[in-house]
Amino acid sequence: MDRRKFLQIMGLVSGTTLLSSCGSESNQKELISYLVPPEDGVRPGTAAWRVSTCSECPAHCGIKIRLREGRAVKLEGNPSHPINRGALCMRGQAALWRLYHPERLRTPLLRQGNGYQAVSWEDALDHIVRAMSEASAQQRTNMLLSGSTTGSLAALQERFAEACPVTRLPEFEYFSHAALRQAYQLLYGRPVLPQYRIEDADLLITVGADLLETFVSPAGYTRQLATARHDHDLHWRHIEPHLSLTGANADQRLSIQPASEAILLLWLLQTLADSRRYVGQLPPQLRTALPEISLDRAVQATGLTTSRLRDLANSLEKARRPLLIVGGIATAHGAGQQTALFGGLLQWLLTAPWQGLDFTQAERPERIGDLRDLQQLSDTLRGGAVGVLLISRADPLRHAPGDWKFADNLRRAGLSVAMADIPDATTRAVDLVLPLTHGFERWDDVEPRFGLHSLIQPALAPLHETRSEGDILLQLQQRLTGHSESGNYETFLQQRWRKQFSASARHNFFQHGHVVTAPAVTDASLRIAQTAVVLKQISLPTPLSTPVAVISGSIRSFDGRSAALPLLGEIPDPLTTITHGTWIALSPHTAKQLGVSDSAELRLTSGGFDLAQPARLQPGLPDGVFSLPVDSLISGPPGIDPATGEALRVIGSVKAERTGKQLPLPILSGSPSQQGRGIIPKPIHRDKNHHAEHRALYPEPAYRQYRWAMAIDLQQCVGCGACVASCYVENSVPVVGRRDHLKGREMSWLRIEPFYDDQGQVSFIPMLCQHCGFAPCEPVCPVYAAYHNPEGLNVQVYNRCVGTRYCSNNCPYKVRRFNWWQHEWAPPLDKMHNPDLQKRTKGMMEKCTFCIQRIRAAHEAAAKENRPIRDGEVIPACAQSCPTGAITFGNRLDPDAAVTRIIKSPRTYRVFEGLGTEPAVYYLRPN
Amino acid sequence: MNNNIPVPQVETDVLAAMSRPGYAWLTGFGLAGLLFVGALALWAYQIQHGMGVAGIMHPVGWGVYIANFVFWVGIAHSGTLISAVLYIFRARFRTSFNRSAEAMTIFALMVAGLFPLIHLGRVWRFYYLFPYPNQRQLWVNFRSPLVWDVFAVSTYFMVSLVFFYVGLMPDLAIVARHRGGWAGRLYRVLSLGWSGSLREWRHYDRLYMFLAAFATPLVASVHSIVSWDFAVSIIPGWHTTIFAPYFVAGAIFSGTAMVLTLVIPMRRVLHLEHLISIDHIESIAKILLLTSLIVGFSYIVEHGMAFYGNNLFEMEQFRFRAMGHYSLLFWIMITCNAILPLLLFVQRLRRNLIFLFVLGLLVNVGMWLERFVIVVCSLARDFDPYNWGNYSPSLVEIGITVGSFGLFFAAFLVFVKTLPVLSITELKER
Amino acid sequence: MPRHLFFDTPEAFLQELRAQLAAGVPRRRLQAHLPFHLHEAEALLIGRPSRLRYFAMIGALLGFGGGFLLAMLTSLDWPIITGGKPIVSVPPFLLIGYLMTILIGSLSSFIGFLWLARLPSAKTLVTDRPFDSRFVLAIDDEDAS
Repeated sequence: MDRRKFLQIMGLVSGTTLLSSCGSESNQKELISYLVPPEDGVRPGTAAWRVSTCSECPAHCGIKIRLREGRAVKLEGNPSHPINRGALCMRGQAALWRLYHPERLRTPLLRQGNGYQAVSWEDALDHIVRAMSEASAQQRTNMLLSGSTTGSLAALQERFAEACPVTRLPEFEYFSHAALRQAYQLLYGRPVLPQYRIEDADLLITVGADLLETFVSPAGYTRQLATARHDHDLHWRHIEPHLSLTGANADQRLSIQPASEAILLLWLLQTLADSRRYVGQLPPQLRTALPEISLDRAVQATGLTTSRLRDLANSLEKARRPLLIVGGIATAHGAGQQTALFGGLLQWLLTAPWQGLDFTQAERPERIGDLRDLQQLSDTLRGGAVGVLLISRADPLRHAPGDWKFADNLRRAGLSVAMADIPDATTRAVDLVLPLTHGFERWDDVEPRFGLHSLIQPALAPLHETRSEGDILLQLQQRLTGHSESGNYETFLQQRWRKQFSASARHNFFQHGHVVTAPAVTDASLRIAQTAVVLKQISLPTPLSTPVAVISGSIRSFDGRSAALPLLGEIPDPLTTITHGTWIALSPHTAKQLGVSDSAELRLTSGGFDLAQPARLQPGLPDGVFSLPVDSLISGPPGIDPATGEALRVIGSVKAERTGKQLPLPILSGSPSQQGRGIIPKPIHRDKNHHAEHRALYPEPAYRQYRWAMAIDLQQCVGCGACVASCYVENSVPVVGRRDHLKGREMSWLRIEPFYDDQGQVSFIPMLCQHCGFAPCEPVCPVYAAYHNPEGLNVQVYNRCVGTRYCSNNCPYKVRRFNWWQHEWAPPLDKMHNPDLQKRTKGMMEKCTFCIQRIRAAHEAAAKENRPIRDGEVIPACAQSCPTGAITFGNRLDPDAAVTRIIKSPRTYRVFEGLGTEPAVYYLRPN
Repeated sequence: MNNNIPVPQVETDVLAAMSRPGYAWLTGFGLAGLLFVGALALWAYQIQHGMGVAGIMHPVGWGVYIANFVFWVGIAHSGTLISAVLYIFRARFRTSFNRSAEAMTIFALMVAGLFPLIHLGRVWRFYYLFPYPNQRQLWVNFRSPLVWDVFAVSTYFMVSLVFFYVGLMPDLAIVARHRGGWAGRLYRVLSLGWSGSLREWRHYDRLYMFLAAFATPLVASVHSIVSWDFAVSIIPGWHTTIFAPYFVAGAIFSGTAMVLTLVIPMRRVLHLEHLISIDHIESIAKILLLTSLIVGFSYIVEHGMAFYGNNLFEMEQFRFRAMGHYSLLFWIMITCNAILPLLLFVQRLRRNLIFLFVLGLLVNVGMWLERFVIVVCSLARDFDPYNWGNYSPSLVEIGITVGSFGLFFAAFLVFVKTLPVLSITELKER
Repeated sequence: MPRHLFFDTPEAFLQELRAQLAAGVPRRRLQAHLPFHLHEAEALLIGRPSRLRYFAMIGALLGFGGGFLLAMLTSLDWPIITGGKPIVSVPPFLLIGYLMTILIGSLSSFIGFLWLARLPSAKTLVTDRPFDSRFVLAIDDEDAS
């Protein structure tokens, strides 16, 4: 090509390009369209919300699922839901981790020798059908064992069991509240748990019932307690042999001798029944049937002083609306039956005058069995009488005592099938594993209380080749009997809902996620005659001899089922601040006697019970009591109480010895005491003169319209850690695992710090970036990665950060987190990443932003309507999730904002005020 | 002009040191080089995987790397002190040490300069630390002590390099005269064609004086600025006004000890006994003693202030240093830095080369530990007790630390064989 | 071609230099090459101080002003608040000025020296043995004019 030709072509090309780019704007139309039309209203960059129901525990709190680009990215409590009223516990927050768990079961798995092989759904179902037919031919029974099931699925199970036929075993829950339900069955003829009207009570005495951790509906109770404490002065006393989070948050905690609750309750019952106020109220038949107990005996058995006992009785007599709740570990030992019975009677005596119990909306665990039922199953299995055993959403293998040899017995079944979402002890023992869809991938409903129907609505299409339990049962039924209720579970649900609810109720159901139908009013009067008969036969228990081991429920893993969720391993246990590990807590005094320190291995033996775990010194724990979370048990509970079928959770005559080994244990707290530093000041610090007047060298930056601030009421905070979990999910905070936690490299932007005083009383303080007015972290950053924005936020610009870590060093609150690694989100966990946030890479500093993405969203919304941001429009993830409403966020410059009003309280203080950092987080000192 | 040695004798004596490297030299250089290469590999590993491979953790965001940085900057100081300050004070014994001390300054700064880079989480963005026009339209934060560090250390390095080079110019011309072939020509070029004319000499003389004058305040300011990395913060144990003089004294103390560590074997190996006299070494020992007293006094002041000040945070910090997790290191530091050097009050020991050599090593150990104690203890126990946590260095950190000594010694060994280790010109003048 | 006189000691050199000057040899015809600096020789042959101080002075002042202005103007270019400190934070900016004083002062002195001493010099770079360990007095006998 010669030069002339080249120039000609170039001229043509550039000329046509120029011409084609000329044109008038007026006749142009937007031609950009979605390659794939947005289905279901998914618009990029905007969030959609779906109401649904959490299924992490049988409480079934109402939730809202936040969707971005068709992915569920965040859960929040549904404020209109009657169970939790907007609160959501850390386990609920972690439900997304179950949905996106990298180890979720993806296809049916059939046992081949020692391993499993993926099979197709058709093969798996055929396999089951064949085995069921075979079993019928061999006169063996087919059985269905499931976790707590209510609502439509329960109805379907019933029909399936009838049609196939399959024996529907009592449902299995480790926290079965069996003793309580048996007591209510005896007293009222109803094997259920009533609603306790906590919000109306003025005195609450809880015996063993860990309301904040695992008892029935923790998030709901936490909210109710907070409301009661906020609205009127609820006085709350907790009685327990060990130290639980619930006990730590009661106004008064009484430590009693393990397993002596029955005696205490009996003495109280007797004293109150004879007291001026309640005399004659207990039916004489029952009064005479009660065993007699002297004050001396009660003092000796419970370990409480005479004055304490009298005071307890007096306060119950004086209270206008006293309420007693017994449960948890108080009923999980040899004297559990007596405790539940005396407790039930005393509860009746106290609440009958003001109707403190509500049986119409009782919790619905009525089909839940107890460990005796499981034992029976185990025996039946050993006898070879079981054909196909379908296990759904339950992990009996984990909770069966080791000496039953449940796993061995299971092999004698014709075919054992587990339906589960992530692997557990049971899925590792059965012949066939069927992967279940997660609650966020399917339609369903639950009825956790009589008359309360809660919607389970899918947020996204199933991630894997999974099927819902309803579909599996329908398909099995179809194959076995040739016909089924309906083609699939969704149509089954629709038919049922249409039958159950009116059109307006259905509308509410889909709109608000729940609907309340009028429950059948049932008689809940005391059945005197039957009770008297039982009372006459009852014997007084003997307290267990110390030292004892107490197996407590865990706020992090419930009965151990949530332990597999990495997020919950990452959040410290509120009292011990241990993450990623199991432990035995003991009092510092006992530890000294045994010569153990933190993370020294301790071995507990008692009869057949033998357990070695690292020790953790726990201030506030009574001497001679070893407290261990249920996760610490490697091979099921040490035994069951034959009278009630509850798992034994208090073991007496324990022998403790140190093995001499040191086990690594990630303990996040550097010191149990605040070392007199006034982080949570005592009321004596109220005096203004206590702190030197602080004068700043420079004027505080002039904020124009907004100065974001947060108020945290420590009186309300119970240290449950829901805010921590919420923050993790909202801000895609990396979960780093045990190895880094052992080095103290946790990434949490928000943490709960427990501090113990000399008496073992614990106070909690949530610690997050304080967004200081004079932030020490800012001027030390050489590259302006940390700076103060005009709205008072202490901003971290990830892209500028070079990773000197100077800001973290200079932060008095140590709330900054450094990315020590390139944190990977194993697929499909990456789908959970909040798209409003930048992904942080290795070598960057990050920290709490006051959920700046939410502030930005509010700014955009306000700008569209040409108005300032309204108070309450921005709610950070932590504040939203807090079950007690302890956290308030807002604009300090707005005189009417809630936060501005709250920080005028005389209880207000800021942490390390003397340093002159002018934090924007205001704490309200506990009373 | 008290010269006992005939003029050419000085030249041949000093140049004799630059003879072909022997077996010992090669072994030493190989070993040091290997350590350095190992450190580079570890650094690459760290960049690849992230800072997590180091032991630093949540409360203790700075560990061995920053301790090393402060330590090496400190080592650098004695070079400037000996060459610039003593020049201004016309101290005779300076001539015996100034060349090697200056070389030490350069190499120590080279090593020191690596550590802020090594400790960066995103070292591939290190240029963000320099003020240059960029498309981010962002300059650096001149309020940050780290930017002061960037300026102070780079200024210090460049001024030291110029000073070292200017001092070398006449000597390079001498070497060029003694060497034939391409080596001679190279030295000639390096000397910029130095001819020793009066015109060159008279400006040279002024230049040397000016450079000494410019470098003298650096002796005080560079380590002051390094100390402000800590003193400007609010961390108990860091936030104190005593830090600047305390660090400067400490720097000269450690630097002087390093001079002894290097010069005593060098004098022996290179047969320079008649040029570097015991009297001169004793003078260095006196500096060591003086700075040790200042450092010891600073320790007392620090702890006294914490004790007397009745500040909860400070009190706990200094209790922790003496009695906490790192107390062993603290007491080794006290022994090496404040107690053992007191033996130098005995003249016999001041003139005992073996004692001085061992003491120099121990002081270096003590001063390294001082930096470790200051950096780590303060962070390990700050305001919020929940955050307290103890740090221990990882193998990567230890390897890189050892490798930094490798780089330093390798550079020094190269210097010994390529440049006159004593200032020939000044020896003649003496 | 100048005449070269070699001396082993500075005393002998200075004696000869004084003798030459006393004999009426003009300074411009005398050249000295020394193994180290002799202030007496400078006083005898030149007699006025080196102009290097101006380089040092100007460099130092430029460094100080430049350093401070660099910090100030870049801070004003995008005013970012850190730690509530003023945008123009004088004390730290003075520090930058101080450091730049030393850096630019030293560098300009060095450059000034190269300029004043005419280094590197192409002539001496190629000459064999330009630098002697003896004191050399070169006398240009023939008048340049």
